[in-house]
Amino acid sequence: MIENLIDGPLWYLSLAVFSLGVLWQLAAILFASRKPDLSVARGSAGSSAIKTVFSRFLPHREMRARIGIQYIAGYLFHLGLFALLFFAAPHVLFLEENLLGFGWTPMPHWAFIVSAQAAFLGLIILWLRRLMNPATRLISTRDDHIAALLTFVVMLTGCLALLEEFTALRLLHRFTVELWLIYFPFSTLMHAFTFVPSRAFTGAWFGRRGVDA
Amino acid sequence: MKIQTLLLLLCMMLPQFSQADGPPKKQTYPEGLLSLNPGGELWSDIRQRGDSVLDGTSQVKGVDSGILINASGVEWANFRVNELTTYSSIALAAVFVLIFLFFLIRGKVGIEGGLSGRMVKRFTDYERIVHWTLAVVFLFLAITGLILLLGRPLLIPLFGKEVFSLLASASKESHNLVGPLFLVSLLMMLFSFVRRNIYEKGDLTWLLKGGGFIGDGHVSGGFFNMGEKTWYWIVILIGLVVSVTGLILVMPIFGQGRIIMEIVHVIHVICALALIVVSIGHMYMGSVGTEGTLEGMKTGYVDINWADAHHDRWGKECHEKDLIISAEEYDKLVGTSSVNEADGSKTT
Repeated sequence: MIENLIDGPLWYLSLAVFSLGVLWQLAAILFASRKPDLSVARGSAGSSAIKTVFSRFLPHREMRARIGIQYIAGYLFHLGLFALLFFAAPHVLFLEENLLGFGWTPMPHWAFIVSAQAAFLGLIILWLRRLMNPATRLISTRDDHIAALLTFVVMLTGCLALLEEFTALRLLHRFTVELWLIYFPFSTLMHAFTFVPSRAFTGAWFGRRGVDA
Repeated sequence: MKIQTLLLLLCMMLPQFSQADGPPKKQTYPEGLLSLNPGGELWSDIRQRGDSVLDGTSQVKGVDSGILINASGVEWANFRVNELTTYSSIALAAVFVLIFLFFLIRGKVGIEGGLSGRMVKRFTDYERIVHWTLAVVFLFLAITGLILLLGRPLLIPLFGKEVFSLLASASKESHNLVGPLFLVSLLMMLFSFVRRNIYEKGDLTWLLKGGGFIGDGHVSGGFFNMGEKTWYWIVILIGLVVSVTGLILVMPIFGQGRIIMEIVHVIHVICALALIVVSIGHMYMGSVGTEGTLEGMKTGYVDINWADAHHDRWGKECHEKDLIISAEEYDKLVGTSSVNEADGSKTT
């Protein structure tokens, strides 16, 4: 009964909520009304937008010593999770059979394990930094914590089901993935889609005013 | 069809084998036959009985692939199921009983004069992140490890075999995956705290006076006292042994045979258990056992009276260098409450 629900209707529902929710959020950002900027441009908005998209990949020189661990943990987590999501053999097979109809070469098992370890370590450190640093703790919302916790639970249940021999563990993992997909569009997890336009907008806004952002 | 023919042939051969296993009879053996009971001797060799160790040959190329039956494996399995499980359970139970008795006798170790509210910075954000990363990883490994070690006698009666098999599989996979992170966080811990954990003059006095927990006498201590330093080196050294043995177990790709794996497994379990047992004491002393200690790892700040009571040499340094901040400043810095700038009223 519960197996049919998780593998069937709940999966399609979560997929629909995720897809429509993400599209709706992106459209809302894209078509949001903005006041025309009447100021005289002191710099190029376009080049500053592109520059900011890439410059944010490295910490600002003055901040490097203070937030170095945040950057390292950030890369560990995001690259690890990306590799896991799209290149772990069980995921590639799942996407091929259930969603896309085609697959690609998955990464070897050892790389799968290393990616998972990097993602786990990165997420634990990032979450602890959020809690330990007074500034990040104060600006963190309940949504930030729920998003981190949900992502951690998804990764953990995936880790528990590594052997791929127990239906209950597979279902537990899939169920948490479905919860994650439903929560995604309405949370800070949306930064996976918005980080590029957000950086570009900030860069353009400051660049037009001649500020090196 | 081929399998059926093979089975038929085997059945026809069985009586001959049973004759060979029977009592020896006086008869003439064909030339070249050296044993009265070649089948028995063959199995004796295969099971590695006696002094001779039979190393056979196999199409499968790999470590120990020529050994059909590993006799030491039986000894290891018996040791693991009987002694290791039993003594581990006793050790865990004993530490809880000891802590409970200590709490009954000594109670919560307070600070003379109570907490002042004036604080001093003890740990940076990074140091606390390192500590809690190690703690999270360690707790996860301890729980999954104990499920694997003690699950059979303790959890099967509670949840049944099906649930336990699921739990054991989940524990094994996650334990193996998260294990290497323990080594990473251990190295982070080593490099972050090593300088302040080198033993110095006066540490032995702390030990001889029981760290101040036995009796009422004051014991002098630096930034870290002898007990904390010893705990640090236990974590580092035994942790390294646990990590290395864990890697040997999880990566059987360096030619390590069964006997090595068995020995390494026993070392891994004993050392991990020692860490778990001592860490329970550490968790108790760092939280409910001592007043004001947990604050240091929560916010990075400790009360100056706490510093004076447990680490007087470091406390004195804080006084001399004027590193003490007021309660209001502390609240602002750690963000536990906000002070209304206009009227000075405080909301938590």
